[in-house]
Amino acid sequence: MRRFFILLVVLFGLLLVSGALGAQETPFKEQLVYSLTSFNGSTFSKSFCPQSEDTIYLIANQNSVVSPTKTIVYYWPITRRYMAGFSTLNEKITGKLEILQNGKVIATQEEQKYILYYPKGYWSEKAIMYLDAEADTYYKKYKEAVDAFNQKLREYYQAMERYREALNNFFEEVRRRREAGEEGPLNIPIPKEPQPPAFVDFYSSDPASGFILNLPPGKYEIRLRRDDGTIFEGSEKKVVVFTSRRKGGVGYEIIPGNRWTKKENCDDPSWIIHAVGKNELYFNPYKQEEYNELYYNKLVDPQEIGRIERFKWVHIDPVEGVSLLFGKGKEILQNVEKAPYFVKQIPGPELGYEIIPYDEELQKKGYKPTFESYKVSLSPNLPKTDYQVSVVAQSSGTPEAKSERTIRLLKKENAPYIYIAAFIPLFVGVVTILGRVSKIER
Amino acid sequence: MRRSRVLSTLFKRDFLYTLYSFGYYGALFASFLVSSFILKNFLDATREEDILVSAFPLNYPLYLTLIIISLYLVIVSAISISREREQGTLEVLFYGPVTPSSFLWSKYLKDLSLGILALGFTALYFYVVSVLTNLGFTMGLVRALFMGVFLISCVVSFGLFISSLTGRIRSSIITLIAILGAFLAIQFVYNMLLGIEKESLSPSLLYLRQATAYVFRAINWVSPFAYLSRGLDSVVLENWTLYATHMLYCVVYSLIFVFLSIYAMGKKGVKA
Repeated sequence: MRRFFILLVVLFGLLLVSGALGAQETPFKEQLVYSLTSFNGSTFSKSFCPQSEDTIYLIANQNSVVSPTKTIVYYWPITRRYMAGFSTLNEKITGKLEILQNGKVIATQEEQKYILYYPKGYWSEKAIMYLDAEADTYYKKYKEAVDAFNQKLREYYQAMERYREALNNFFEEVRRRREAGEEGPLNIPIPKEPQPPAFVDFYSSDPASGFILNLPPGKYEIRLRRDDGTIFEGSEKKVVVFTSRRKGGVGYEIIPGNRWTKKENCDDPSWIIHAVGKNELYFNPYKQEEYNELYYNKLVDPQEIGRIERFKWVHIDPVEGVSLLFGKGKEILQNVEKAPYFVKQIPGPELGYEIIPYDEELQKKGYKPTFESYKVSLSPNLPKTDYQVSVVAQSSGTPEAKSERTIRLLKKENAPYIYIAAFIPLFVGVVTILGRVSKIER
Repeated sequence: MRRSRVLSTLFKRDFLYTLYSFGYYGALFASFLVSSFILKNFLDATREEDILVSAFPLNYPLYLTLIIISLYLVIVSAISISREREQGTLEVLFYGPVTPSSFLWSKYLKDLSLGILALGFTALYFYVVSVLTNLGFTMGLVRALFMGVFLISCVVSFGLFISSLTGRIRSSIITLIAILGAFLAIQFVYNMLLGIEKESLSPSLLYLRQATAYVFRAINWVSPFAYLSRGLDSVVLENWTLYATHMLYCVVYSLIFVFLSIYAMGKKGVKA
C-alpha cells in the first residue's frame, strides 16, 4: 500500500515536471493548422485549430468552414496559447477533405466558395454565409453598392467644390453690393450645401474558399487527402458536432442603476433576481440557447477550456417588438417600452454618474444614447414579496415563451432571526425526550 | 409473514432508539445552523440599490443539510451494526428468526424513515426562513426535498454496504468517514477548481483539475453525493424526465447496495 502511494506521488511529480517542461517548447514551428469560420449560434467566429488541439467543435446542421493552412505557429506564454503568424506564412493546402464516422469515410468534400454577408453592416456582427453562386450574387450586390457609393461620393466632392465656389461668390456679391451702398434685403439666393451619400449599410467579406461542414450531431473525424491519394500528415482531427441543450427561451441582461458598467445576466428561467429596497433596473431581453460550456468555448476558440459538466446560455439575438411587463401575480404594475438612456457623469469630487432619459436636448447637443433598455423602477414602498417581469409581443400581446423571471424583494432586516429557526429540532428533541422520560417514570 | 414481523420489530426497536436519542436532533440542529450561516451571508451580500441573481438560494443549504443528516444516519447505523457484532447480539439474533436480509432491510428502512422525518424538519425550517426573509418556499424546493428522500436512500444503502464489510466499530467509522469524506472532497475540490478561470490557475493546479476531473468521472456513478448533485440539478432544470430518471437511478443504486450488503454480511458472518 505504501509502495503504491509512493509510486503515485512519483508519477504525479513526473506529470508536473513534464508539464512544466512542455510549456518551454520551441517558439516557432511550421505547422498545418485548420483556419475555422464556425457558426456560433448567432454569427460566425473566426479562429484556428493548432496541432496541440486534436478536436474541432462545431454546431450541428449549420454551415461552418474549415480551411487547412500551413503557417508559422508559436507559443505565447503570457496568454498560454499558440498563436499563428498568418502574415508570415499562409499557404493554403489543396486536396479533398474526408469525413469519417466510426472509422468509415461517410463523405468526401471539395472546397467551396463562400462569403460572409452582414445585412446590417459589418459592426452589427450578425452574418449569413452564402455559398457558390449565391456567394457570387451577394458579393456582386455589395461591390455594386460600394461602386455606386464611390460614384456618389465623387459626385458629392464635385458638388462640394461647386458649393464652396458658389458660397465664395455669394459672400463676394454681398460685400460688393453692400459696398455699393445697397441697403435692406439683398435677395441673393444662398447656395445649398450638398449632403454626403449614406455609406453602404450592409457588408460582404471577400470570397474565400474552404471545406463546408454541415453535419448532424455526433462524433466524426476529418483528414485531408492529397491529389496523389496520400493523407496529409497532421491533418487528422476529431470533430465533435453538438447542438443546444435548451433553446427558445428569453434571457435578460440587467443593468443595475448603481453600476451600469457591471451588467448582470439572468438567463436561466430558474434564476431569481434578489433585491432589497429601492432599485432601478434596466432590462435587455435576448433570444438564447444553452450549450455545453466546454463544447461552446472550444467552438469559439479551440484553445479555450471549459467544463464538460456545465452548460452556458448564449445570447443569440435581441428580442425586438416587445414590451416588458412588471407585475405581481396577475396584476400589471408597469408596462415598459424600450427607451434610449444617457449616462451623465456628475461633475465635481463625488465621482459618480446619473442615468437620464435621452431627449431632444441631448440630441441637439450632439450626444448619442449610451444604451437602450426597458427600465423597471422598484419603489422602496413595494411590499417585500415576489414580483415578475416578462416580455409580451407589442402586436399581439402574446407572452414570449420562458421570458418570465421573478424579482424577489428580501426582508433583509429579519436576517439575524433565521438562527432562531435552527433551534426547531432541538426544541422538538427536548420535548420528545422529556415526554419519553416522564412516560417511563410514570 | 413471520419475516415481516421480524423486520417490523427490528425496525421499531432501532427507529425508536434513534428517535429518543439527542444525537438525531443535535445533527439536525447542526445542519440548520450551517444553513442559517450560509443564508445570513447571502442576505448580507444583497445590498441596497443592487441585485443578486441566483437560482434557488435555498438549494445549497438543502444540499448541506442532506449531507449532514445522511452522514449522521449512516454513522449511527454503522456503529449499531458493529456494536451488535462486537457484543455478540447479532450472533444471538441470527440464532433466532433474524436473517442478514431482515436485519439489513430493517436498518435501511429505519435510516430512510428517519431521513424522511428529517426532511420534514428541513421543510419546516425552510418554511420559517422563507416567512422571515422571503427567500421563497417554492415548488422547486418541494421537489428538491422530495428528491432528497431518494438521495438519503443512496447514502444510507452505501453506508450499510461499507458497514457490512467492516468488523469493529472503529474500523467501520474510519472506513466510512474516509470513503465518504474522499467522495465529498473530490467533488468539492473539482467544483472549486472548475469555478476558477484558466488564466488564474497555475500549471500545477491545471493538472490537478484535470486529475480530479478524471477521478470525479470515475466515482460519478459510485459516489452517492454525485447522485445528490445530479438530482438537485434536474430540479433546477425543471426537466421531469431527468427528474424521474434520477429517482429511478437512486432506487436501482439503493437496491444494488442493500443486496450487496446482505450478500457481504452473509459471506462475512456475524462475528467481529
